[in-house]
Amino acid sequence: MHEHSLVRTMLEQIDRVCAANQADSVAEIRLQIGPLSGVEPVLVMSAFELLKHGTRAAKATLVLDQVPLAALCLACGLESEIHDYGFHCVHCGHHHVRVVHGDEFRIESITVDSAALLQPSTA
Amino acid sequence: MEAQVITIRRDVLAEAKASASIQREHFTRCGTLVVNLVSSPGAGKTSLLEATARSMTGRYRLAVLVGDLETDRDAQRLAPLVPVAQLSTGGACHLELPLVQRGLKALGNPELDFLFIENVGNLVCPASHDLAEHVRVVLLSTTEGDDKPGKYPKMFRTSHALVITKLDLLPYVPFSLAAAAEDARRIQPAMEVMSACALDGRGIDRWCEYLVERRQQLLSMEPDRACR
Repeated sequence: MHEHSLVRTMLEQIDRVCAANQADSVAEIRLQIGPLSGVEPVLVMSAFELLKHGTRAAKATLVLDQVPLAALCLACGLESEIHDYGFHCVHCGHHHVRVVHGDEFRIESITVDSAALLQPSTA
Repeated sequence: MEAQVITIRRDVLAEAKASASIQREHFTRCGTLVVNLVSSPGAGKTSLLEATARSMTGRYRLAVLVGDLETDRDAQRLAPLVPVAQLSTGGACHLELPLVQRGLKALGNPELDFLFIENVGNLVCPASHDLAEHVRVVLLSTTEGDDKPGKYPKMFRTSHALVITKLDLLPYVPFSLAAAAEDARRIQPAMEVMSACALDGRGIDRWCEYLVERRQQLLSMEPDRACR
């Protein structure tokens, strides 16, 4: 159950981005989560519901995009989708592969409501 | 109010990973091989470290940082054998780098050949947290079953070596060394697989040899060492 500490870190990062962009509140957070992220989407959701209060993301919708697991073969250079954690190249069968997607727990984007944008100085 | 999309595209752990890289480079310059030991609770991390300390003390400078939710029982066990600092997570399920750095400071930042970090017993959460280690070693005891690697893919994918422990109990449990190794290598084909018994000493020489080899590799990467 390390999702709590990860979601807390995520909310701190989002707060910093908001401050830098003079944004008051966040309407939507888009995350990318891969099967090898070590993060459970359901637990991310429940941690977010608990921890969002008092942050700029208190009213935000959390959208989780699940990314498939893919690896690049270091022998033939082709990419394979990895199923059932069998780490090998589906094209040449080689086992020397590097994960290219699917280990991320990443903030893709946030949608913010920005009062500052309406002020004449930024128009 | 106007809605604006801000693209971030940044891993939540990006900052932690960057700090871990810097800390790892420091360990490399110092010639300290850092080993992160992970397993489920009771797989024998502390027992393996006791046997390791008995075998290597005198030849190498060792220290152990041991992580637990509560108590300093593991540190008390290891203290007669090796310099040790207990890291208490206060309920958290894994160690993070700042705790490791605090532990090192508590030991007086000694010059070391090997630093062992005994993680919290848990095959899930510690997999996501880089402690600036050079080698992640996962322990699997014969009593846990040989089907565990596939159940904890992230931990086995991110580990460099597997030590199958409690070899003395092998005659009494339905555990196949070959099946466990095969399952682990399906997830991590480069996995070094060893087996050991901390109580009767079987496999400890090979394990210590592996550690020394890994340190040699580290030293050859950084021939001009300058710790400070």
